[in-house]
Amino acid sequence: MKLSRSVRNSIFMGLGYLIALELMLVAAILFWPNFEENTGALKLLAAPIPMLKDMFAQLEAKGVSAYVLSQHFFKGCNVLGCAVAALIGSAAIAGEAHRGTMEILLMRPLSRRRILMERWLLGGAQITLPIFLTTLTVPLLLTQVDESITLGPLLLCAVHQSLFLLAIYSITFLLSTKGRAPLQIAFGMLVFAIFNFSIYMVKTVTHWSLFRLADMETFLDIYESGSLHTTYTLYFAAAIGACLLASLAVFERRVP
Amino acid sequence: MPLHQGIHASALVRTFGSIRAVSDISLNIAPGTVTGILGPNGSGKSTTLRMLCGLVRPDSGTATVAGAALLGDGTAVRKVSTFAPGEIALYGEMKGGEHLEWLLRGRPQAAIDHSRAIAKQLGLPPDKKVHAYSHGMKRQLLFAAAMGPDVPVRILDEPTEGLDPAKRQEVLDLIAADAKAGNLVLLSSHHLSEVQAVCERLVFFHAGKIIADESPAKLVTRARRTVLIEYMTADEASLAQLVMRREIGEGSSNPTIADCVAADLEVHVTLLADDSRDFLVAFANLDAPASLAITIGRLSLTDLYRTVYGVSGL
Repeated sequence: MKLSRSVRNSIFMGLGYLIALELMLVAAILFWPNFEENTGALKLLAAPIPMLKDMFAQLEAKGVSAYVLSQHFFKGCNVLGCAVAALIGSAAIAGEAHRGTMEILLMRPLSRRRILMERWLLGGAQITLPIFLTTLTVPLLLTQVDESITLGPLLLCAVHQSLFLLAIYSITFLLSTKGRAPLQIAFGMLVFAIFNFSIYMVKTVTHWSLFRLADMETFLDIYESGSLHTTYTLYFAAAIGACLLASLAVFERRVP
Repeated sequence: MPLHQGIHASALVRTFGSIRAVSDISLNIAPGTVTGILGPNGSGKSTTLRMLCGLVRPDSGTATVAGAALLGDGTAVRKVSTFAPGEIALYGEMKGGEHLEWLLRGRPQAAIDHSRAIAKQLGLPPDKKVHAYSHGMKRQLLFAAAMGPDVPVRILDEPTEGLDPAKRQEVLDLIAADAKAGNLVLLSSHHLSEVQAVCERLVFFHAGKIIADESPAKLVTRARRTVLIEYMTADEASLAQLVMRREIGEGSSNPTIADCVAADLEVHVTLLADDSRDFLVAFANLDAPASLAITIGRLSLTDLYRTVYGVSGL
């Protein structure tokens, strides 16, 4: 079967993202024994920053599961995932306008809804599939450091992480549907993400940060309860749905 | 002409911000014909063509293309027609043949095969990456994609722009053959002389409006009847005299003066003369000052368009 150009490009970019995520995960898990040994010292070092102090306290209390959740989801998937969502989302439609290829994209006998949904789904798969694939390798990797973890709740965390990133991606996608400058959109979204990450670390304003919705505490709740966070899941679903509907409405009337 | 055949557009209007790109355009085009849309840059040609293939939504007005109504995102219209855009932007990283397939996504395999055959006939290398194609080759690739599908309507925006004379003729021959097979071809161009041979009908656009709609044969007849008289004035005083006479001449007393343009020390007067007798009468009516140098010549079709319709920029 011959793959289309956009599918080939998506696989290529998705593979890069998957490899980067997996490498980060491998490095983090192999570092676990050292980390466990030095948790007390690290807690002391983090004492001046209250948010970090709390995080280390939880890591000390919950052990390897909290460590994996914070390393893989909170650090790895959030940081890399946000960057990938901004890059893929911004280029999805605005990239075509920027290159001048919007006219040939739209002149084929395909409905705009179909073109847009194909783009959104391809991008969404690129962002979320590597999260699940890397999560599946966690139990195996943990055997290398004589630890174990339950896969079921871990996959629920992957669902939560995917929904969070899909929401970020859908907002970027909407901007891309409206705009013509993919670099500006990607840069704007990255600045927005960095700003949110920076305020996450400040205890007095941390509740304003978007990363509160996908931090170690949230993932621990999901892992321990064995069910998704209903309110957050509804937030994400609403954001994704609203952005997708708005994107469809904008794209239907867009001039090439 | 039944509504399920050809193109029927009624009172199409499209504005971009404060600019009215297309203003109240109505067109009825029969199948089996080639119609040329001509006009200077920004005259509304491309916007009209894009509206007719559903790429740009009209603000108001209606249209049907081969029986498909122009509604929503125009998918129904694009299923019964093909479009070759005027602006060329392709995916340079794809090979020619691969790009042709991409352009024809949503069409049957027969359309791809036919397009490949046309591309081969035009001498396009299918295994070469598109970024290595010349401007003319890219234009021909889009043309091949538009000519491949078995649809009753083809809309081509400047299909011969940037092609060498031999390729241009080849493209025009393919267009003529397609119309002979019963299809409707609507094309735009800046070059009247290029398309007059292949078009049964010429529609002139200016400032988003149709200012003339006639056959090339009629246009040629009009050109033969039109005489251009050029006055080279000696000084500014006589220029002023002529300009004044022009104002008088535009009235009913001298209906044969079609246009008079004064620039610096040159005055160009265009007369519409049905035969030599009329021409002489018209010439006598001008009563040119003796101090002026006078040249008399026939109009080319482009000159005719420029002077008769008062449009510049062709």
